Amino acid sequence: MFKKILIANRGEIALRIIRACKEMGVETVAVHSTADATSMAVRLADESVCIGPPQSKDSYLNIPAILSAAALTGAEAVHPGYGFLSENAQFARMVEEHGFTFIGPTPEHIEQMGDKVMAKQTVKALGLPVVPGSDGGVETAEEGQKIAQDMGLPVIIKAASGGGGKGMQVVEDINDFAELFNRARTEAKANFGDDTVYIEKFLKDPKHIEIQVFGDTHGNAIHLGERDCSVQRRHQKLVEEAPSPVLSEDLRQEIGSLAAKTVRDMGYRGAGTIEFLYEDGKFYFMEMNTRIQVEHPVTEMITGIDLIAEQIRVASGEKLSVNVDRLRFRGHAIEIRINAEDPESFIPSPGKITQFHAPGGLGVRFDSAIYAGYSIPPYYDSMVGKLIVHGRNREECIRRLKRAIRETVIEGIKTTLPLHEWILQQEAFLSGEYSIKWLEKQLSER
Amino acid sequence: MKIDSEAIKELAALLEETGLTEIEVADGDKGIRVSKGGGAIVAAAGAPASMPSDPTVPQQANISAPDTTAHSHPGAVTSPMVGTSYMAQEPGAPAFVKKGDSVNAGDTLMIIEAMKVMNPIKAEKGGTLTQILVEDGQPVEFGDVLMVIE
Repeated sequence: MFKKILIANRGEIALRIIRACKEMGVETVAVHSTADATSMAVRLADESVCIGPPQSKDSYLNIPAILSAAALTGAEAVHPGYGFLSENAQFARMVEEHGFTFIGPTPEHIEQMGDKVMAKQTVKALGLPVVPGSDGGVETAEEGQKIAQDMGLPVIIKAASGGGGKGMQVVEDINDFAELFNRARTEAKANFGDDTVYIEKFLKDPKHIEIQVFGDTHGNAIHLGERDCSVQRRHQKLVEEAPSPVLSEDLRQEIGSLAAKTVRDMGYRGAGTIEFLYEDGKFYFMEMNTRIQVEHPVTEMITGIDLIAEQIRVASGEKLSVNVDRLRFRGHAIEIRINAEDPESFIPSPGKITQFHAPGGLGVRFDSAIYAGYSIPPYYDSMVGKLIVHGRNREECIRRLKRAIRETVIEGIKTTLPLHEWILQQEAFLSGEYSIKWLEKQLSER
Repeated sequence: MKIDSEAIKELAALLEETGLTEIEVADGDKGIRVSKGGGAIVAAAGAPASMPSDPTVPQQANISAPDTTAHSHPGAVTSPMVGTSYMAQEPGAPAFVKKGDSVNAGDTLMIIEAMKVMNPIKAEKGGTLTQILVEDGQPVEFGDVLMVIE
């Protein structure tokens, strides 16, 4: 087991990783920008190193600074969290070249799954069902238009080097194809440095269901069930739950086994999530994320397994600690992401938190780095915390979540808590039938 | 960082004597915590969470604890990077500058090494070097005050 880990991230996930390290007796180094000098992660870490000014490119994305900090503090491993450098193959490679362990998959797998075209081809060859689409990147608008016409509209044009819901264009009318195709290429180049795009059938009204997978360096590969993340706005998840209210036990085992088999065949190491679109009883592979995800807590609540600790264990060479025969999914868990935004206009609301009370009680978990008196810096994403609730069944879970939301106090800034309260009252959510288009449609009609 | 070894020895002896597992004393924003059972002796500054956050005063165990009064000095030369300080061109060579020297803009004051690359730190403006706050071989982080030029 490592003696010291450097956490190359910030906010709630940095705190999450520090908590797991403390439980395992591993010393922690928090790197931070000047804007985060008073963050909870920095306060609770054993050591901290200021690596740059507030801008991410000069701090949390500053590879030389992070590697220097690791060398100076004698860290043995680096945990990249999510976002920032967590899926940067170059970073993973440099971490290893400098003698540290990267807590995550190999640089090769990061690259393979980071290229969305290659990822699709890889998993298709391994037997996963994929969304019908172009066979690889599409060079010209003419070629793309023909593919779209053959497949039938609507179609979606995606960046091969993209992901995370960014830089996608939906084409409903064939006359708009050429313009949207060129726009997609331009945005792909601007956002990801690569203008390669591919085309997929745009499914009518699917759900987003993802499978948590894990592999170790001893040939073991497992799945830890699914998460339903269909409540989204602009491709960003707001609410996630496990298990999905629409999956039967048979379907769960079927897709879970396929996902685990894919991980085993790839020889994939560490935590990963395989994201699917699900419609009419069928799964369609969308992408694989080669990191821990924001919504990992809902899986932790129904399995009782600490996924961050498991990542660290696997990275240090240990076998997966999960006994698949004894793995049981217990009850139901829902997570809501609380953002510092106006709940109706979604305009960001950074500022000082004047009053804070986290909800508590049986089955209530609040993963956040905020505290009373903390000033939310305006330089990073607007998520201030995750409220995760567990119940013996979905009804109890929803009741408990409603109570916990009402108990939560975050004053001084605006948050999206009222939006979550509203979501939990809607029939489409209560029935579990909500699709990925549901929330945006509701918001546009309000 | 000044380590008050007498205070730590005293606290450690107190731990043994009383059978306690942890003692923490604080004076303003500086403090010492000594604990038994697996934890190393830690010098932590301040209590967590409920203290008001003052961004100009670092409240955690840093690699280097800079002189905070120099931080706000207009002539403070702050570190632009994370690395190790070297005060001379090479071991055994004379230091680039010493206290009291008159320096011009562009003069090399010291080197910060990171990942085997030597980065010269140059004076942005001229003046008298009134303070040198780092030593040869000392690790520094972004924003640490290295020297003061008046």
